[in-house]
Amino acid sequence: MGLFGSLDISASALSAERLRMDVTAENLANAQSTRTAGGGPYRRKEVVTEATGDNGFAGALASARASDGGPQGGVRVSGIVEDQTPNRLVYDPSHPDANAQGYVSMPNVNPVTEMVDLIGASRSYEANVTAMQTSKQMFTKTLDLLR
Amino acid sequence: MELFDTTQLGLQRAIEGAAQRQTALASNLANANTPNFKPKDVDFHSALQAAFATGDRNAVSSAGFQTTTQTDVMRQDGNGIDIDVESAKMAQNGLEYQALVQVARGRIDIIQSAMGTS
Repeated sequence: MGLFGSLDISASALSAERLRMDVTAENLANAQSTRTAGGGPYRRKEVVTEATGDNGFAGALASARASDGGPQGGVRVSGIVEDQTPNRLVYDPSHPDANAQGYVSMPNVNPVTEMVDLIGASRSYEANVTAMQTSKQMFTKTLDLLR
Repeated sequence: MELFDTTQLGLQRAIEGAAQRQTALASNLANANTPNFKPKDVDFHSALQAAFATGDRNAVSSAGFQTTTQTDVMRQDGNGIDIDVESAKMAQNGLEYQALVQVARGRIDIIQSAMGTS
């Protein structure tokens, strides 16, 4: 894996971080949604990522055989999971979804947490863009050898 | 007397080492939010230094670089990436790579002048 490998790695991170931003936006948009297709209020979603390249038998074997420690992996979204924290109960008897006691089960979305996640994803995205720029500069510099 | 001396071979090897390190650092930044991911690095300097110390041309041109993994943990999810440290390393590595290519280029120019082909 040469320099283009590092571009691929950064690209995989860009798409993962973009998905993280999408999911955070979905959480924020549905912070007040009390009805979903599956019934009940909206539940907060989280993106779970995993490193690619060094997982499993094939990756481990390649790493063990290669003198340079094997291929470096990018990142992959292994799944989008639901946050299992309980829903917020809000007292609002006039709400159509209120229970007999007048409490409404609201999504377990905390807008502040989502904003922090959004900033984190945005910063990670920027860091990976910078990494791509560095790789690109290095590659351009190598091409100068031919001139 | 070879056309390319040991220094030139060392430069070429160092450029490859810096490229390998760039891949490792890109992987670190990509996995900044992956649980249980530990930072990787390529210490090509010490490997090359050891190769140069032997004084053997072949040792320099065939020096292998190991990818090392740090096991320090930064966060509760087992991730060990400090995004600032990795960014700084990457900036440093990028500049070092450019410097290495610049020097290699300069030495090739000298050979070209000597050959009268430039």
